[in-house]
Amino acid sequence: MAGQVVPAARLGTLWESRGILSLLVFRDLKVKYSDSVLGYLWSILDPLALAGVYWFVFTQLMHRQVGEAPYIVFLLCGMLPWQWTSHVVRSSMKALSKDSKLVRSTNLPREIWVLRTVGAKGVEFLLSIPVLIFFATTTHAHPTGHVIYFPLALAIQLVLLTGLGMLLAPISVLYGDVERVVTVLMRLLFYLSPIIYGSQDIESRYGSTVARIYDLNPLAGIFGLYRSAFFPDQLVSWHAAASAAAVSVAIFVLGALTFRRLEGAVLKEI
Amino acid sequence: MSPVIEAEGVGIYFKRNRRRHRRMRDMFRSEAPAIVTPGTVKGTKKSKQRSGGFWALRDVSFSVGPGEAVGLVGANGQGKSTLLKLIAGVLLPDEGGIRVGGGVAPLIEVTGGFEGDLTARDNIWLTAGLHGLSRRQIAERFDEIVDFAEVGDFLDTPFRHFSSGMKVRLGFSVITTLDEPIVLVDEVLAVGDRSFREKCYLRMEEMLSGGRTLFLVSHNENDLRRFCTRGLYLNGGALVADGPLESTLDLYSSDSDLKKTRR
Repeated sequence: MAGQVVPAARLGTLWESRGILSLLVFRDLKVKYSDSVLGYLWSILDPLALAGVYWFVFTQLMHRQVGEAPYIVFLLCGMLPWQWTSHVVRSSMKALSKDSKLVRSTNLPREIWVLRTVGAKGVEFLLSIPVLIFFATTTHAHPTGHVIYFPLALAIQLVLLTGLGMLLAPISVLYGDVERVVTVLMRLLFYLSPIIYGSQDIESRYGSTVARIYDLNPLAGIFGLYRSAFFPDQLVSWHAAASAAAVSVAIFVLGALTFRRLEGAVLKEI
Repeated sequence: MSPVIEAEGVGIYFKRNRRRHRRMRDMFRSEAPAIVTPGTVKGTKKSKQRSGGFWALRDVSFSVGPGEAVGLVGANGQGKSTLLKLIAGVLLPDEGGIRVGGGVAPLIEVTGGFEGDLTARDNIWLTAGLHGLSRRQIAERFDEIVDFAEVGDFLDTPFRHFSSGMKVRLGFSVITTLDEPIVLVDEVLAVGDRSFREKCYLRMEEMLSGGRTLFLVSHNENDLRRFCTRGLYLNGGALVADGPLESTLDLYSSDSDLKKTRR
């Protein structure tokens, strides 16, 4: 019966729609980059400006007590994946309402509208990596063997963001306040995640008990893995990576269930 | 032959109030109230109502075989479009289920899939792609779509600059090139000038003779008689008649005459 398809069949239809998914992702990028020659620059301007400000404050105005040198590389390793996270969270709350006409007129597995957001922002994230490489080269930061963890971090983050998107997309259609609450929470999460400082700083200052609680934020483990490419000490322990993976999978399952649960109500609303 | 559309006890419940009145605790409750408190029940079982909501459709069951042409009649607000959307899979039933064996070409809100800022050309590629045509299929049919819609001179014009007639023409043209075995038509024939309407009729007849299953919503009895052999009549969210088109139309018109004389 419609609406009660088993998860496996759902995955099957999603897989069949992968061509349509890439069509949507490609279109998003086309709209973003075709408007101006500076399209690419705009997408990296925000993290660059933010990183620039923190770099200036922490290395020029004040004496930096957190993170590692070269600090700009350290910052960008956290800032770029953070941008992906915050863009996905923000736009997944509009994923179903912004293109409501498209959602209403096509019988695609509705998860595709979330996946499309995660995918398009993910491609933008990958396209911003050359900026990091540029700064790493100019500051003579050398990548370590830990760079092989990059795909692992990418995979965990992908699972996490897909779960968050599936959770937030239907809820924000049904409950108008969610968007504002989440905006505030995201601001807090920025400072609760190892971006301007590192997981190492938490461990060395507050001890390992606090650090383990801190690791419950999946971004801690994910950013630690990314960062270990240049700063091996930031991969404090595999505990952080393991709890990041576990929490991400849990959020993914919760998101998938919530999405299925609310799908019918959302379709009536948009 | 096994049916291509099978509806069993389909019901869908809508809230009348706006979303800001929703409470967080409603979130994990079922959309449709299973128990209706006595006292708020109005009318028969079929039109159960609770303050703040209503059943747009209730207990609707029917099955349609391949190649059948079904006309859906009923006054405004009786659930015709809702039923079509349920068949198209863009709404999900709260009760019962609909089994649709095969893809659906929905001529409902035909202009819905188009993006105002993109050109007609991009829109054709996007919409046809979203409805499942491969790049090769679109490339093959592109000229046909453009010719049929008569928008050849405006291919690189942003869609939002199109007149409403052009928008509908393009939408109709894209959707009718799909190969889907089931075609749903909701009132689109009312739009467009006479010559385009005739073209639409011809194309629909073509599709019908090609063995497609047709579901048509219309207030125009001539259109219904032209295409359909079977009629479904919806009233108050319930399916009150299912039979040969003529007898369904007779029932519908006698019902609406009755309403007039009561007034």
